[in-house]
This record gives sequence, C-alpha cells and structure tokens, in this order.
Amino acid sequence: MSVRLLTLAVAFAASAGAARAQEVDRTLPSQLSAPTRATLDRLIDSARVAGLPVDPLYSKVREGVFRSAEEPRVIAAVQRLTRDLGDARAALGDSAGAEEITAGANALRAGLHPADLSRLRESRARRSDHPLTVALVVLADLATRGVPPAMAAASLNELVARNVSDGSLLSFRQNVERDLVGGRSPASALDARTRAMIDDERRRP
Amino acid sequence: MSEPEDPRWLDRIAAELRREVPVRPAWRARLLDEVARAPKPSVRADVDDAFGDRRRRWSVTIGPLGSLAAATLLVALGAGATYVAMSRVGANAGQRPAQSAARATSPQLVSGAPPSAEREVVRFELSAPRASHVALVGSFNEWNPVATPLSREPATGKWVVSLRLPPGRHVYAFVVDGDVTADPSAPRAADDDFGSPSSVVLVSSPRT
Repeated sequence: MSVRLLTLAVAFAASAGAARAQEVDRTLPSQLSAPTRATLDRLIDSARVAGLPVDPLYSKVREGVFRSAEEPRVIAAVQRLTRDLGDARAALGDSAGAEEITAGANALRAGLHPADLSRLRESRARRSDHPLTVALVVLADLATRGVPPAMAAASLNELVARNVSDGSLLSFRQNVERDLVGGRSPASALDARTRAMIDDERRRP
Repeated sequence: MSEPEDPRWLDRIAAELRREVPVRPAWRARLLDEVARAPKPSVRADVDDAFGDRRRRWSVTIGPLGSLAAATLLVALGAGATYVAMSRVGANAGQRPAQSAARATSPQLVSGAPPSAEREVVRFELSAPRASHVALVGSFNEWNPVATPLSREPATGKWVVSLRLPPGRHVYAFVVDGDVTADPSAPRAADDDFGSPSSVVLVSSPRT
C-alpha cells in the first residue's frame, strides 16, 4: 500500500511557552465505567497539578476507547504516558513547551534515554529559543524504525548543533527511511545521511 | 437539552392528549353553538385562482394541550437536530472547503489561512485502490472513526481529505475497511500502547 502525506507543515517554530490552540475534548468517554473514569480523573488531575500537558492524556484515553482496549490497559497507558511526560520535562527543562514535552515523551517511549534529550537541549545552544519538537519527532521516528537510539541521538545532536532547519530534519528522516526501505542497514543509512546533511549545511552560504 | 430516556414518551403524550377533558354538558352545548355561529374563514380569491385544484388545503385543529404538545415536540426535535449538527461540527472541526484544500498540495509548509483562524490546511492522501472505505482518526478528531472520511479523488483514484488543524503535534492513523494502519510516509509515533502504530503530523503556527 502506498501511502503519502502530501503536506507536512515543517516549521514548528512557535516559541516554547506559546499557548497552543489545541482543541482537545477534555472529558472522559462515557463508554468507560465509573470507577475507571474516576481513576483516570485522578491521574489527569495529578498531571495537571504537576504542570504537565494533559491534552495528550485525554487523547490517549480516547485512542484506547477507539481501539477497544480493555480499561486496565487504558489506565496503564495513561500512567505510562504521565511518567514519560514528567521524565521528558525534567530532561528538557522547565522552559520546554507542551509540544516539546509530548514529543520528548514519545522519544523516551521509542527507547531514548532522558540523558539523550538533555544533550539535545544542550546542542541547540545557538538557537536556545527554538523548540526541539521536530528534532524529537525525528529522533523517535528513527528509533522506532530500527535505528539504534544512541546512534540516532548522536546524529540529531550533530545536526541540531549545526543549526539545521526543521524542514531539513524532516527531509533527513525521509531520506533515512528511504534507505532503510531500500535495504540499507540502519547504521549505514544514518551515517551516510548525516554526513550528506552536514555537507549540505557547509555549502550553504 | 437531552431526549427523555424512555422511548415511549411520545406515546404517553399522545395518550394524554386523547384523554377526554371532563366538561359540563351545558358548557359543551354552548361551545358547539358558538362554533356553529362563527363565520367561515375567508380565503383570498386570487390565491385560489392562482393555484386552482392543484393546491390541497390542509386543516388541523388542535386544542391548547395539543398546541403545547406540538410546541414541546418541535423544541425537542430542534434541540436534537442542533445537537447532532454541533456534534458533527465538533468532530469535523478541521474540515475545509475544496478550494482551500487545493492550496495544500504543496509538500512544504502550507500557509495562507487567516491568522485569526490559527489553523493550517493539511492534506492527507492514501493510495488504497482496493479499499471501499477509508477514514482518518487522530487526536484532532477525538479518534472518532466516522468523523473524517476520506473520499476517492476521481483523477488519481487516491483517497484524500484536507483538514484545518491547529498548531501542534497530532497523532493519527488511517482506518482502511476497518483496519487501523499508520501512515508509512510520515513520522511514526512510538507510543503504540494499543497494538498498532500511529503517525505524527506537525503543524506550525500560521504566524510563524
């Protein structure tokens, strides 16, 4: 099956603390039992009090209901996401926005370590106000596709430190994916594409 | 406003309306006399001439209780229709007419939405020639499988839909004839807690 997303809005350049126009329904689905809703309410309230973004938690609940997951599984997923969100915020710093934290949590889920996220944050020293959301999404995607997380983190650190744009990071991801589909090993694909991207950046005026 | 839980509520109202109201015989006779003496309502001749026999005249006589019941019924139906319409609007909050969708065919950042809208047009496309139904589910439509169906584009045969999404990171998947599948051409979300992977789309702020 050939699937193609024609439009990918590439430059997620809103400031880290910018308010997000997300319109998530912040209610729990009525299909869930009352005890489960009460448990989820407590979990989400705790996350809110801790200052974590809660929209991903509501979305996770609705995804679970859509996928007909058992209620304990939905609760476990929300617990795990809450923990990942907390770890991601700790790694990315208090100034991280909701999108960065959510993308960071996703990267942790893909096998990255909190230290990888912290190093990425340090790598963007020259663009300290630029969100790491795209870099984190690319990082999680590469790890999910079989690229060793440590290698993926090292490559992204290199690229972020060189001020590679978000659009170029997304192109980088697509190129690595194309190589993987073509049969190249993850390590080889990552190495070649990272070098090519760095060369491109050097040639850029 | 919500509909009464008992589906027999209409029958109950009808039965209540049919129930004869106790009236003294003398009052009943006087009422009938008054009705008989009352002049017939006039009908404008020009209207009659214009429509001739093609127009059927309908006359329904209802009492005060009937009026009340009819008004209640109309309010309930109106509220129900409004609820359904609002639900659909909420679920399809990102959908946008075709002329805007055409603007989203660029593989780059799609801008041009009014700044006040705080949304960007994103076009999702799927090549699934054997599929009979394709829908999009995700964090932007509350994972509602009936909210965002894709339609087959006659020229290409691809399934497409364009949405106006708020800035942010959105997780989504396609539902192809009931099977949930990620978008292999988009970044993958790692948090597949429920068995099958999802994809990620990032939407920038229109102001950036």
